[in-house]
Amino acid sequence: MYEVPRLAIEIASAILYFILVRYMIKPYGLTREERYLGLPLGFGFLGVAETILAIGIILPIHGIGTVSVVMRTFAFVFLAFTYYFSKKPSKNSRFAWIIILSSIIVGLTTWILSLVSAPLMTIGITTSFGIFLRILALVCLSYICIHTLRSHIKSLDPTTIWIPLGFILLAISQYSQLIRAADENYLYGVAFVGGLAARLIGLAVFLYVAYRTFYRATKRGGINEADRP
Amino acid sequence: MKKIARRDKLKIYGDLLTVLCAESKEDKIVLTRVQVQIKVPFDRLKTYIRELDELGLIQDQTSLRLTEKGKQYLVEYENVLDFMKRMGIAYR
Repeated sequence: MYEVPRLAIEIASAILYFILVRYMIKPYGLTREERYLGLPLGFGFLGVAETILAIGIILPIHGIGTVSVVMRTFAFVFLAFTYYFSKKPSKNSRFAWIIILSSIIVGLTTWILSLVSAPLMTIGITTSFGIFLRILALVCLSYICIHTLRSHIKSLDPTTIWIPLGFILLAISQYSQLIRAADENYLYGVAFVGGLAARLIGLAVFLYVAYRTFYRATKRGGINEADRP
Repeated sequence: MKKIARRDKLKIYGDLLTVLCAESKEDKIVLTRVQVQIKVPFDRLKTYIRELDELGLIQDQTSLRLTEKGKQYLVEYENVLDFMKRMGIAYR
């Protein structure tokens, strides 16, 4: 009954993530510096995770949901490292470190959880796999929320409040996913629907910020839109 | 003496174009005044100006007026800075 709206929300989320990538790649497009690839790649991975999940709803392939959860967790760890390294001034790019550390953390967590869960599958411990990965994602999102909130407090600019708000909404969405993973009997309750709504609103907030930033010049009478590259 | 954070070329070009854009309101752009504002040695400033000219961002090395491409670059640069600030990532 709820599969069709859920599929629509997953597809809409994937589309929104990829639209955001288009905006977030602009700093890299202008600078050609690797350190600006963190945000677009992180949001790109999230878009891929949602796409995999949408495919999993249409074609119930065994393990596709796990691939999506691993990919989503990797994306949040990747984003957290991007924010962590952004506050440390460096002559060289730390992009390679972000990829290596994210892969190690998610890879190790997945491997350990597989080892722990495998012999206990008969007593339903497999759910712990999804729970721990979602907890890891939630920890990373909490770090990003704190980082962006601190930046907002430092800048004293009211416009910078939107991004922490967007990340808080993504964290709420992730928390609802955690509840769903923890309770197998709880499938389509208020928390789940609320979580999906929080994700969509969060993505809309990101989109609003990106749109306002990059199309502001046209409105204030700067350069004609036609002259843009 | 206050230490100036290391800037990459994009930031230097952006800062230089911002100063040149502001200074273009005057009758004549004075190079030493530009140098003081963007805080680079004079010889390096001359190099950057030559590079901006080669990239087509300024009309010529004497008038130092921004071309349409230069103005466009400046808008993009300001948008990128603004976006990174809003995203909570400092531009260094």
